[in-house]
Amino acid sequence: MNADPSADASLQAILIVDGDIVSRHVIADYLRHCGYAVVEAANTDEALVALGEPTLSIDVILCDVSALGSRDGFELATWVRTNRPELEVRLAGGVEMAADAAADLCENGPHLARPYEPEAVVDYIKRLRASRLT
Amino acid sequence: MNHSSASRPDLPSAQRKCVLVVEDEILIRMMLSDELRDAGFQVIEASDADEALTFLGSMVPDIIISDVRMPGSIDGLGLLGVVRKTLPKLPVIITSAHLQAVDVSDGATRFIAKPYRLESLVRIIRAEVNQPE
Repeated sequence: MNADPSADASLQAILIVDGDIVSRHVIADYLRHCGYAVVEAANTDEALVALGEPTLSIDVILCDVSALGSRDGFELATWVRTNRPELEVRLAGGVEMAADAAADLCENGPHLARPYEPEAVVDYIKRLRASRLT
Repeated sequence: MNHSSASRPDLPSAQRKCVLVVEDEILIRMMLSDELRDAGFQVIEASDADEALTFLGSMVPDIIISDVRMPGSIDGLGLLGVVRKTLPKLPVIITSAHLQAVDVSDGATRFIAKPYRLESLVRIIRAEVNQPE
């Protein structure tokens, strides 16, 4: 996985679960910029596949509460806390919360710095959603 | 990558060629995406053609690589058809373990059978988007 070699070995990979490709990509990109390896899941079923893969070392799950799949975000969090209690789960109820969670992870993560402010993340996502090709 | 009116806050990655990977199997999508990022590409990951079309509504990548059989309202060939109507020259690579070939007569489409070697696919993508090694 694309882990920064200077990253803290005890906290390297984040699984992001979000059904919105635009916000998922921007948040994932943000986290990669601050040094995390990131796995992107479009729904909770994909997340469970990733969590079941023995070669993947995931430390934190950032999950949109409205993520789709056989489980919703809350149910996924419950499953993780029951079956994988060593993993940290952060639920986000929208783009702003996800950006704040990502910024917090970056402040406490490998590079101890945000590549840019979370407000810029939210603004960028909103502009992408609003933009249309001419 | 053409971002329409949106400017990215992460300037360095804006210089890199962008690949839209459309693949419903997360582990395959992840392996391919990681290989492409290691090779210097910016990668957007879509889990199906519907997600790909959502993304294409806002941004245009430099190349698309798409599986064929995926859940959702359209498959990879349907995605190709939609893309060709509005982006006739956008390079598209179609991958499949089930098809023998895909019509590549439009000049911008390539077909690669699965299973493929990641290094070979990366070389092909580099050539398609003129990105040197």
